Amino acid sequence: MSSYVIEAAGLSKSFGSTHALAGVDLAVRTGESLAIMGASGSGKTTLLHCLAGITRPDAGTVGFRSGTGRVEVTGLSERERSRLRREAFGFVFQQGLLIPELTAVENVALALMLNGMPRARAEEYGRGWLAALGLAGMEDRRIGQLSGGQAQRVAIARAQVTGAAVVFADEPTGALDSATSAEVMRALLDSTTGQGRTLVVVTHDAEVAARCSRIVDMRDGRIVGERVAA
Amino acid sequence: MIARVAVLLARPASTGVAASALPVTAFAIVTALLLIVVGGAQTFWTYDDDAGVLYQALAVIALALLVVPLVSLGGAAARLSARRRDDRLATLRLLGATPATVSALAVLESVVLALVGAVIGVAVYLAAVPLVGMIHFRDRPLEPYGVMLPWWVLGVVPFAIGALAAVSAVLGLRQVVISPLGVRTRQEAPRLHWVRLVVGVGVVALAFGLMSVLQVAPSVLFILGMLAVAFGGALAVLNLVGPWVIRLVASGQAKRAKTPERLIAARTVLESPKAAWRQVGGVAMASFMAVFAGTGVAVLEAMGSSGDAESALLLTDIRTGILITVVGSFLMVACSVGVNQAAGILDRGELYRSLGMLGMATSTMDAARRRAVMSPLRITAIGSAVTAAVVMLPLTGVTLIIAPVSLLVIAAVLAVGVGVVWLGLAATRPVLTRAATTTAG
Repeated sequence: MSSYVIEAAGLSKSFGSTHALAGVDLAVRTGESLAIMGASGSGKTTLLHCLAGITRPDAGTVGFRSGTGRVEVTGLSERERSRLRREAFGFVFQQGLLIPELTAVENVALALMLNGMPRARAEEYGRGWLAALGLAGMEDRRIGQLSGGQAQRVAIARAQVTGAAVVFADEPTGALDSATSAEVMRALLDSTTGQGRTLVVVTHDAEVAARCSRIVDMRDGRIVGERVAA
Repeated sequence: MIARVAVLLARPASTGVAASALPVTAFAIVTALLLIVVGGAQTFWTYDDDAGVLYQALAVIALALLVVPLVSLGGAAARLSARRRDDRLATLRLLGATPATVSALAVLESVVLALVGAVIGVAVYLAAVPLVGMIHFRDRPLEPYGVMLPWWVLGVVPFAIGALAAVSAVLGLRQVVISPLGVRTRQEAPRLHWVRLVVGVGVVALAFGLMSVLQVAPSVLFILGMLAVAFGGALAVLNLVGPWVIRLVASGQAKRAKTPERLIAARTVLESPKAAWRQVGGVAMASFMAVFAGTGVAVLEAMGSSGDAESALLLTDIRTGILITVVGSFLMVACSVGVNQAAGILDRGELYRSLGMLGMATSTMDAARRRAVMSPLRITAIGSAVTAAVVMLPLTGVTLIIAPVSLLVIAAVLAVGVGVVWLGLAATRPVLTRAATTTAG
């Protein structure tokens, strides 16, 4: 059985006359933390979106392997890909992008409620994850009442609460100072690879990338280098 | 300089034409409705008999009732045009434009959209003149020449609407601070005090008392004064208590919510019950007036069927006026909801996009925002109607017995009004779909 959780082959994607991806091959191992680095416009976010089934590539395939077998992500319908994202993947964005009207625990529980879990149980799980990420006692605060680092940890809890096999993070520390950034990365790594899960991070921050187990560099829609972090 | 940058900014944005089309449509409807109502009402000023004064007074009341949703719609449209360009205006701030320049650009754009909408509105009014001319008052059609306003009024109105948009945009921008990074912070949801309810119940009781002793009033002038106090007081109560009741109901809904859409909807309303009220407040007035005046007319009509022809005619005309005002109010609230929703979606575009990435179906997001409008709307429409029914309790009871059809008509008009608002909401679904499915390049 392959140890790769995601395998992408020959990915190409264009937006108008811009070639965001120009034939990318990439395999992500189960339990690793992979950083995708590159300058703005190098195609790293588009690659992440293709791997996660958010965007369908113009050419190429993406396969996802779970306990139940291999799924051809690129062959799924929009509805099936949405379901896959809800059930198997977690996401952390640069600004957290939490629902401001909801409390911290409601934001986390929402991910489970979308999968049909009753609210009381979903909130119980949510409280557990928030406590594990050092946010005990802040469950009922609204997002505007949390600091940037705290809000980002709520986003991590939301990404993890469904038991996601793979967490995709797009510049998760981009809006944070260096101390908070280190704290958030530690929380992200502990809750993913620390639990045997997989983390794929898009970043242009070398310090963030250095904390991952493997780094791929992108330029002009291609992977131009691969390193194993120290 | 501002004009040149405004021309550059006028190029289509990624948010699509709907974001421009909505404020233009809203301003067109505002203009057309305003002209139709003023055009229709001008005939009343040609009546020089005793009843003429009453017609003029009723026309002024109807216009006053329409002004509230009209100003609210103007403000919403202006805010939408400001939000539509938020990203570009924020970029201008980063490039060194002063807040004054950015504000001026937002205001200028609102004014241009308002002018375009107003000119379309004038055209709609001109097309509607023959139809409006067929409406009967005093057993005679108004006739197209009676509804037609002088040419100079048609020339001035677009500029007046433009000025309204400018004022609304300036007021709206005070709340939407466009920072260089477009970052907005949110504080704790405001709380409304229960004292509002106590004051409200007191005023409704007073209004009820006044209506109960109406028959012992010494003169017609006294009766009119008591009616005005009861009507005005009850309307003021609605404004005072409305946001409080909306918050109370939403609070219960948030606790009981079992699905994501119900939870998000209830929390959205709780974020600002006053904003939820402002959006649908026009319906409160229309709904209250429909029951208050509609019941009165129904009773008078049923009791006075043997009375003189002039009185019967007056009652028919009042009913026609009520219908026109209620329909106008609901149309404006529907536009206001549509425009507010479009502004809200654009404001939260990135959030909707991220929720789409998480796997939340667009239908779930749509259901949440629909519920966040329709729930306060139902509370408002029903609450206002019940308040009016309580104030008019003896008459409502009598109407139920002697003219049940009239009450059914009132209920049907309100139901259609709620349906029109729902349509206004549905019209913004493409904006949401577009916002939720646009992915980064």
